[in-house]
Amino acid sequence: MTDFEDQLRRAFERQEPSADFADRVVARASRPVKVAMYRYGRKWLSSAIAAALIVALGGGYAWERHRQGEEARAQLIQAMEITSSKLEKIHKKVQGALR
Amino acid sequence: MTNSLAQEAGIQPAAVGITQAFEAAVREHQAMVYSVVYHFLQDRSAAEELAQEVFLELFRHWHEIESRAHRVYWLRKVASRKCIDQTRRRKFRNHVSLEETPEPFTWMPATDPLLKRYIEQLLGKLQDVPRMIVILRYQEGLEPAEISELLEMPVATVKSHLQRSLALLRKKLSFVSPEEKP
Repeated sequence: MTDFEDQLRRAFERQEPSADFADRVVARASRPVKVAMYRYGRKWLSSAIAAALIVALGGGYAWERHRQGEEARAQLIQAMEITSSKLEKIHKKVQGALR
Repeated sequence: MTNSLAQEAGIQPAAVGITQAFEAAVREHQAMVYSVVYHFLQDRSAAEELAQEVFLELFRHWHEIESRAHRVYWLRKVASRKCIDQTRRRKFRNHVSLEETPEPFTWMPATDPLLKRYIEQLLGKLQDVPRMIVILRYQEGLEPAEISELLEMPVATVKSHLQRSLALLRKKLSFVSPEEKP
């Protein structure tokens, strides 16, 4: 053991924390379950809200896509019907001209 | 046969809440835990906060503690790990390196509180792992093999850190041992 090491030992002697340290630790330890439940409760609630929002937004988006698809389908059918009717008229005119 | 402290005391801390055994353990080891953390962080309020976290973790793991010796080992291990983790997470590190720290003007007696403070400041300039090694060696009086077990690193690494840190501290302190004095 050198004097230098002795010096270090003296410099690093243990020190006491503030007088109410143990009381504060025990007080905090007395409410871990409540705190944990509150924390976990909040975490679950946040997760549930986030999941509900995702489902709602996802559902809304899917419904909108479906509605747009239906609308486009109806428009396409209507366009085909108009085209078909025009073609029919043209066909009749062509047939009449040929006779 | 090994019983947990809770069993020895005939209590279940998780169910009952605050226990006299836990409070006694806090009072018995608070100086050790607080000093390890304080010497590492060099900040009294941060040290008290982190020391509290260490004891709260002890409370959560109360049933795993097999003996008083195990409890001391466990507290030192958790305190060391939390200190190093906090330094890495919050960049608690000082920016001035030990090599850049100015030397004291004159020789100061060993009991001088200013010298003690200067040594603490020098320690704060060391990197996190070497700093903790010096604290465990000179505050707790642990051997390199015990430190290597606590910090989960090879003994040779611990010895190497220790030698390098002591050389730097010795140089900065301008210490002249009695046998070196003319």
